Amino acid sequence: MDYSPSFIDPHSHQNDQYASPLSLPPSATPRSVAPRDETHANTTNETRFFHRPSVASKKSVPADMGPPSAVTSYHLSSVAPSTPFSVAPTPVTPRTVDASRVQPSLQNIVSTVNLGCPLDLKRIALQARNAEYNPKRFAAVIMRIRSPRTTALIFSSGKMVCTGAKSEEDSVQAARRYARVIQKLGFQAKFLDFKIQNMVGSADVNFKIRLEALQLKHATYCSYEPELFPGLIYRIIKPKIVLLIFNSGKVVLTGAKERREIHEAFELIFPILKGFRRVG
Amino acid sequence: MATYQLYRNTTLGVTLQDTLDEMISQGQLTELAASKVLSEFDRSINVALDKRINKKVQFSGKLSTYRFCDNVWTLVLKDFSVKESNNPGGHATNTTTSQIPKADKVKIVACDGKSALQS
Repeated sequence: MDYSPSFIDPHSHQNDQYASPLSLPPSATPRSVAPRDETHANTTNETRFFHRPSVASKKSVPADMGPPSAVTSYHLSSVAPSTPFSVAPTPVTPRTVDASRVQPSLQNIVSTVNLGCPLDLKRIALQARNAEYNPKRFAAVIMRIRSPRTTALIFSSGKMVCTGAKSEEDSVQAARRYARVIQKLGFQAKFLDFKIQNMVGSADVNFKIRLEALQLKHATYCSYEPELFPGLIYRIIKPKIVLLIFNSGKVVLTGAKERREIHEAFELIFPILKGFRRVG
Repeated sequence: MATYQLYRNTTLGVTLQDTLDEMISQGQLTELAASKVLSEFDRSINVALDKRINKKVQFSGKLSTYRFCDNVWTLVLKDFSVKESNNPGGHATNTTTSQIPKADKVKIVACDGKSALQS
């Protein structure tokens, strides 16, 4: 319970741009799923207690504690140095993660590239390492490299699909490495039209979600068939992203061509999810 | 269809071939008959290994590279070691554990046993 001073933590300025009446105090999120009000009350009390000795914080501080948090954090941090208790920020560093600062992280990137020359797949399979080729099953060589840990599908047309990278840079680099492997086998491989085709991100909002209610309110965007699939499928039109939202608060975002779209989509969905938080 | 000739390189296969060669040179056997014996060996060793061996060993290693082509898996393992399972079925006295040393690198070539038996 000693985490309240995280309000004064310099990091809490992160709240500024995401200030919203629903946003949680930074302290409430990472581990506890406790109902918002309860946590809120706790924090307020803690802070009040903590600041009582200081002249500067006065009685107005507890009132300030309520959202919008942006303002609060600003005030407190300006007050803190003048008080004898300015040591406070230190013990709290781990608690800087704010609910509204939950960020989706990239999980998979699929890219394609044209090597610009026809390929003899059997020769590739025989000469390259870590290659699988079973033409009865699938008409491409499946090749893997360890760094960046990815898998490539190499087709006889010379086109290649690279999957599994976690960042754009990794995806390009992996694709280049595969092209290099092909080149070393004696093919005139080039590196044409590299394109990221899909990006998948995921995030955990750290509270449970009432999917049924969400489905009712947002019927036009949602498809929720718990008997078919436990997640709710939410299609955002702009950016054109599909989200899988799970009752546990975990969210998968897919269909993006750019990282930005994943983040935009999450910024859109997060306030909505907060509205459908499952309490208790 | 001919079966894999994988096992001709084993001790059993090599000695069989030696014997056949000897018999051919002594005129006791024709080349044709010898090759028939060998192809029967190819077939029956698969059956024998499948049905008449019940000893089990475990091996482990880190997969360094792999390849799958023409229905054959080629695996290169690093830090390879073999463990005999504790209850060798039927054979009570077995002191062969130390016979299989550890190896830095081992290549495993694995063919589809089922298609070998059918064909």
